[in-house]
Amino acid sequence: MNIPMSDLYVLLPEIFVLTMACIILIVAVYIPKQLMELNYHLAQVTVIGAAILTLTNLTESSSIVMNNMFIHDPMSILLKAFIYLITFTVFLYSRQYLRARDLYKGEYFVLSLTALLGMQIMVSAAHFLSLYLGLELLSLSLYAMVAMWRDSKQASEAAMKYFVLGALASGMLLYGMSMFYGITGTLELQKISEVIATGKIENTLLAFSLVFIMVGVAFKLGAVPFHMWVPDVYQGAPTAMTLFISAAPKLAAFAMLMRLLVDGLQGLHTDWQGMLMIMAILSMGLGNIVAIAQTNIKRMLAYSTISHIGFLLLGVLTATKEGYSASMFYTIVYALMSMGSFGMILLLSRAGFEAENIDDFKGLNERSPWYAFIMMILMLSMAGVPPMLGFWAKWSVLNQVVASGFVWLAVVAVLFSVIGAFFYLRIIRLMYVDKPEDLTKIVVAADMRIAISINGLGILALGLFPQILFQLCMNVF
Amino acid sequence: MLVLSHFLVLGAVLFCISIAGIFLNRKNIIILLMCIELMLLAVNMNFIAFSHFNGDIAGQVFVFFILTVAAAEAAIGLAILVVLFRNKRTINVEDLDSMKG
Amino acid sequence: MITLVFYCLSAILVFAAARVITVRNPVQAALFLVLAFFTSAGIWLLLEAEFLAIALVLVYVGAVMVLFLFVVMMLDINTDSVREGFARYFPVGGLVGVLILMEMILVLSSTFFNKKAENISLDVPLVDNTTALGRVLYVDYLYAFEIAAVILLVAMVAAITLTLRNRKESKRQYPEQQVKVTRAERIKLVDMTSDGN
Repeated sequence: MNIPMSDLYVLLPEIFVLTMACIILIVAVYIPKQLMELNYHLAQVTVIGAAILTLTNLTESSSIVMNNMFIHDPMSILLKAFIYLITFTVFLYSRQYLRARDLYKGEYFVLSLTALLGMQIMVSAAHFLSLYLGLELLSLSLYAMVAMWRDSKQASEAAMKYFVLGALASGMLLYGMSMFYGITGTLELQKISEVIATGKIENTLLAFSLVFIMVGVAFKLGAVPFHMWVPDVYQGAPTAMTLFISAAPKLAAFAMLMRLLVDGLQGLHTDWQGMLMIMAILSMGLGNIVAIAQTNIKRMLAYSTISHIGFLLLGVLTATKEGYSASMFYTIVYALMSMGSFGMILLLSRAGFEAENIDDFKGLNERSPWYAFIMMILMLSMAGVPPMLGFWAKWSVLNQVVASGFVWLAVVAVLFSVIGAFFYLRIIRLMYVDKPEDLTKIVVAADMRIAISINGLGILALGLFPQILFQLCMNVF
Repeated sequence: MLVLSHFLVLGAVLFCISIAGIFLNRKNIIILLMCIELMLLAVNMNFIAFSHFNGDIAGQVFVFFILTVAAAEAAIGLAILVVLFRNKRTINVEDLDSMKG
Repeated sequence: MITLVFYCLSAILVFAAARVITVRNPVQAALFLVLAFFTSAGIWLLLEAEFLAIALVLVYVGAVMVLFLFVVMMLDINTDSVREGFARYFPVGGLVGVLILMEMILVLSSTFFNKKAENISLDVPLVDNTTALGRVLYVDYLYAFEIAAVILLVAMVAAITLTLRNRKESKRQYPEQQVKVTRAERIKLVDMTSDGN
């Protein structure tokens, strides 16, 4: 069987990103130091170009190409569009920070773009093999990015932990995949779901295999009890890399969850519902409670990530289309908020100084009322205070949970969110009530100032009109 | 006579040894990396057994890719290990404790 | 006969794997891992996966394990301190491991997996394993093949980024800069008024 040319047309964004990554790799070797900016501009052109290529090939239906490995459907397009947006902004935010730490090199952009490629492949995976390879491409790039700051003890320690646990998770996932391959005789997600639907296969075997898949996915998502790596990696990695890890890959992880559980294993939803429920409750509980005790803001945001992951699992476990779109809405909103928050940490850091501690936010209002205001919007949104976007995200997920009859689960989620609101509000208090300890002037490039303002105000504005984004997610399923 | 179960059980034994190795080993990161290789070997064993007994070559193709990725993974893992050793002069698992909370 | 070979190879494999996690010295662990890979290759031959068996020996024993050994020796680890504490975790860890294994064996010995090999036709009859693999690899799995190539590229870029150091202390000459030197860079004439005026 040959691959028709029309298949390659669907793959254009991926091909473009790969080509540009190779070009940057070569350019970075040969250009002199003074022209280093060129790498950055090429990387941004790549992201914009990929976005244009993806958005000019919209589709209402789903088509599977490349010998059943690549799926082109509305969900993949929407997720990719946000992945591009986030990657673009992440490059922009990271610029100043990386330059001050001698990390502003061609390799950073090459590895970021291969990570982007990995995410694209994961989002569009229709086959165990493409899912696995996309995941590995993303993970391997991220391990290297975390370790890239070679002189930092914490960064290399974080990279090692990330690597070992990530590889363990891949192994688990692969074992699960091998079992499903053996039971159903195929690697294609769609065919697996067809075989399971026939109901001829013993449920014990399927549940056994599902456990391994779930453990692997939970590791990658960072859901409790497989969350050990998240706080250490978030804290230890250079903040620019933490920013990268915390935002776009979450969308890819959500896509992986959907592809595996919904596209492939929808027939087993009674089994995975229970597992997701346990992980969701534990993640929300542990994330929100442990976050209170943190003094390092990166670590605090890591625990907050864990709690948000728990929340997004709630939407998926309803196993309804509306639940999936609510979860997707939640994931996108979370990625935007997380991007803004880590952007603020980057903004307060400067050469030789890492803004890591919560105390670094003390009296931000006196130092710069505008940034304090933006940070306040972000924190209120994370806490889920109306009318911020974060509130609508929580609200839509809870709505679906109640609609599926899990009222008690919704009550638990609300309780934990109230506990969680405490540590977000503490940061706001620090910024507005306390006196600043550090009076250094905040120097920020104009592009970053504009971007972070748009990021913050966007969360407020979209919160006033939540229908816009929500409708986009609703139309996907 | 050999049946599929024989190979699957062998895979499971290898898998459990590697998991036990990862959790028992508190001292040496290199051994952890070896355990990961062992784990992938167990998975490969499963895939090849299924491929043989189902008469379908896709499983072997998957193993081909796992081998490729595992080689790449080993290279990156060892590179990170070297960086870590340069920074901390140790590869003891219990010394990786600079972050707490 | 084949059954006997299988049991022999399995016994060696399990022994080698167990030694990997229990020996004191990382070099020995690496060598036991080599033994494990070698024996697995034998078992894969029983399963008629000849190409992968050879690839395992060439790629793993030949390349990856040599890399492991290289790093073990380069890092010069003090092996005495390396194993203490193992005994402390062993009883609990071992018990949990054995329990998980029992459960897995229970599921895996279900009648569903109690089947003998079907007539191996592999779509294309009468071709050897390598040909069959090659035919699908470059046609049906082209997409995956390309991604695997990118993964190898990433591994290369990452390994070089992480470990290549331009040592600051190593001094060298730059002839092209020496040639380009102009008078203005080296000599500066300063107008000064002499003292005492």
